[in-house]
Amino acid sequence: MKRSHFLQPLFYSILIAYAIITLFPFAWALSASFKPLAEIVEGGMHLIPQHFTWENYQHIFTASPLFGRWLFNSVLVAVFITSFNLLFNSMAGYALARIHFPGNNLIFALILAVLMVPGQITLIPTFLILKSLGWLNTYQGLIVPSVVNATFIFMMRQFFINFPKELEEAAALDGLNRWQTFWQIVLPLAKPALAAQAIFVFMGAWNNFLMPLMILSDPAMFTLPLGLNTFKGQYISYWNYIMAASMVFTLPALAIYAFFNRYFIHSVTFTGGK
Amino acid sequence: MIWQSFGRWFSALLAILALTACTQTHSNEIATLSLSGWQSSPTERQALEQILREFEAQHPQIRVRFEVIADQYMDVIKTRLIGDAAPDVFFLDAFEAPLLMQHGVLEPLDRYIQPDFDLADFEPNLLNAFKLQGTIYGIPKDFSTLALFYNRRQFADANLSNPPQTWEQLRDDSRQLTLDRNRNGRIDQYGLGISPELARQKFVAQAYGGTVVDRRGYAALASRRSVRGLQLIIDQYRQDRTAATPSDVGASSGSEMFGQQRVAMVLEGPWAIPYLQETFSDLEFAIAQVPKINRRSGTMVYTTAYVMNKRTRHKEAAWELIEYLTNKTGMKAWGEAGIALPSRKSVLAQLGRDRDPLYSPFVKGASYATLWQAGENLPAILTHFNNQFVSALLGQKSLQQAMEDAQQAANREIQAQNY
Amino acid sequence: MFKSLIKSQQRQEAFSGYLFMFPTLLILGVFLVLPILFSIFLATHRVQILGEVSYRFVGLRNLTRSTADPRVGIALRNTLEYVLIVVPVQTILALALALILDLKIRGKSWFRVIFFMPTVTSAAVLTLIFMWIYNSNGLLNNLLEKVGLPTYNWLGDPNVALKSIMIMNIWSTAPFFMVIYLAALQDIPTYLYEAAKLDGANEMDRLWNITLPLLKPVTFFIVVMGIIGTFQLFDQSYIFSGGSGGPNNATLTFVLLIYQYAFKNLDIGYAAALALVLALIIMLVTAIQRRLFKDEKAN
Repeated sequence: MKRSHFLQPLFYSILIAYAIITLFPFAWALSASFKPLAEIVEGGMHLIPQHFTWENYQHIFTASPLFGRWLFNSVLVAVFITSFNLLFNSMAGYALARIHFPGNNLIFALILAVLMVPGQITLIPTFLILKSLGWLNTYQGLIVPSVVNATFIFMMRQFFINFPKELEEAAALDGLNRWQTFWQIVLPLAKPALAAQAIFVFMGAWNNFLMPLMILSDPAMFTLPLGLNTFKGQYISYWNYIMAASMVFTLPALAIYAFFNRYFIHSVTFTGGK
Repeated sequence: MIWQSFGRWFSALLAILALTACTQTHSNEIATLSLSGWQSSPTERQALEQILREFEAQHPQIRVRFEVIADQYMDVIKTRLIGDAAPDVFFLDAFEAPLLMQHGVLEPLDRYIQPDFDLADFEPNLLNAFKLQGTIYGIPKDFSTLALFYNRRQFADANLSNPPQTWEQLRDDSRQLTLDRNRNGRIDQYGLGISPELARQKFVAQAYGGTVVDRRGYAALASRRSVRGLQLIIDQYRQDRTAATPSDVGASSGSEMFGQQRVAMVLEGPWAIPYLQETFSDLEFAIAQVPKINRRSGTMVYTTAYVMNKRTRHKEAAWELIEYLTNKTGMKAWGEAGIALPSRKSVLAQLGRDRDPLYSPFVKGASYATLWQAGENLPAILTHFNNQFVSALLGQKSLQQAMEDAQQAANREIQAQNY
Repeated sequence: MFKSLIKSQQRQEAFSGYLFMFPTLLILGVFLVLPILFSIFLATHRVQILGEVSYRFVGLRNLTRSTADPRVGIALRNTLEYVLIVVPVQTILALALALILDLKIRGKSWFRVIFFMPTVTSAAVLTLIFMWIYNSNGLLNNLLEKVGLPTYNWLGDPNVALKSIMIMNIWSTAPFFMVIYLAALQDIPTYLYEAAKLDGANEMDRLWNITLPLLKPVTFFIVVMGIIGTFQLFDQSYIFSGGSGGPNNATLTFVLLIYQYAFKNLDIGYAAALALVLALIIMLVTAIQRRLFKDEKAN
């Protein structure tokens, strides 16, 4: 739809410069994951490993018999959390943006308010609650507290606010109730927002460290970041394993992003025929 | 005030939640113990797992689950202690021990200890770190001291044949060891690598008779005597410019910058030995005792104990485990595999660590070392020291001023807690 | 008859509202509101929480204590400086990148994936990479030297340390917000642009009169989340200073201070009071900011 812009060269230079800034550290980490520890700590800046090795990956996959279990736990927890969040956050965001009910504004204010209290201080009470529920060392202890997320309820509300009113009015005339409108009309049109939410919730669950660290004491229940962190030494950092391990749990998150990325491609869906 | 009853209300609510939760059944036949700790290296962890399997073989009614807590160890332990979900047995650093002993969350061990356990065999300094008013709360599993690692090739290049014996010599040698090879104004090799942390510098502060924490538990960082010792480090860094911190050379630890050969000398513990040998194969290093400051020998000693959670449901089994890990046989197995030194004198001698050229400087250090522990306020005091010492190192303020600021901030905080 | 119909409709509307909110209210109630209420309780007490548990009511003394604590002022100043610089920069950067990536650009999906990488890289790895970039002999100083700019001790020098953390934070957060902007841009109906084109509006007009106004709700979200995130900065300053907030309190942030009191000193009551102070400050700033944005709620 847009003809090539006279600022095009400027845009490309910005994009390429920024791509280098973001890609370089990542590429360096990837390359470090194929280096022996000695080469990493030498402090050289070679992007190409001088002594290429698979040993780091071999080590993290084989050193712990529980690796497969950690991967399974992580996938299970992240998938459950993401699916529940997509449903519940969107419902709540939609209600806050479009449905008139007494207390709407109050609940919205409350959701903003809970975001403002730093998590460091609610950690101990939350731990006590999980403990009394008997949920330490369990999947439900990891999943249930995270099935809704105030941040993304807020985000979904902001997305739904701009939503064309006419569609809902038409749906009401067609005799659809709120739930049907939401499910059949609103959600399909909110795909880009849902995709963004899915990426962030998945990533949050996938990388979550502090809460699992507190509530999981059985190594068989560990999630991947927790399990992989056990490669850290008390005095010595085994950067080679840490780099390999972080690649192992970064790549799935990146793949998820690449997958959902297609929901952010404007021109394909709307202007392909023009 | 409604809030006054909220605490009770909250506890009651928790109790109701607890009732609705499914109750687990516990078999009385087999006791499963949880043991939490950290690891110095993956190899060390495998060694401990091996010892635990042998323990299980000898004690068929006890199972042990070892958990490495990956980060923020004490935060996790404290939270779990508060929530009554702490492990049955766990590692405890001497530095954090006073707080836990004071709060009564550890099981006193005196009544379990039999004469054949031979308590007198332990290095008294180490055992005392886990005593409060004569009661023993932990059995030291091992210890580490600091010693001087020096790069032999760099020493030879600078025509130095012996490691320095005194701090004056160390500063002289450092001048010779500091090089700007390509003369671009950036130093490529420093004499000494330093860690600007109280955990490493406490003995320096005490070298001229200073103290870090006074008898009432308050910070005493700014006394003339403490400053006099620490001034040595500041002067070498600022005036001689022959010392560097890890962040100056882009390393993450003292042993790393020594391995990179960015510094010719560094004070590190025995944990650095296998790391340097495995990671930097062409590095030629030797180890000597820490040079004397003020004609007195000094270094730091760090120790860790096995302690028992007071609320554990398997006290006898937990003791069995601690006993097994720290009796003469258990400690020998651990001492052979572990990176730190065994805390029993007999095992130390048996393993010949005192005759090994690499390990003997660490062993010798044990008799004059300063324990990394000073009452329950040390964790708070150390934060302020670390915060301010660096500003003196950077020349933002005088050391005296920095230490006064640190002392004042720490003591205000300690005082404010008592109301 | 008619009135009661409207009434029943309203009631039905309210009912569905609560139904939609139910999972949220239940989970947030138990796992967020309850712990926060407990923190408010703690904030008014002198608490001994480890071992023998005891609570002693002290009223507002934890709050008055914070007014006499010089580190609270320092932490607040550092944090405010951080917020004032990071929030605008990362918001504008995110918006600019999203707008460019929404244009007809070759290889845009590649750029999007690359830009997103810092967001998925783990904190430990980022820290190592930045230690390596920032050290005195590191990549950044080498580059600066080559082009004849002054070099710094990025991590050691207190005048620069906080700025180093700012740069790192902007770099790793901007892509996060960029993705949200991209989603929002995608939601803008194309017919609006076409109508404007027919009216003879040029690209700049369309940006100012259609795109930016329609992005307002999302910008509000991004700015609020930026404010909350920066006010609650903890990880980077904890890692870079080893938890001390040094050198000379230069990297002491408000949440780091709360953490030190809560976990290092086990002074939970005071830490909880500080947490509430922080929450109130964020609320105040958000309220001001909301006034600026007006309320965008569609009725």
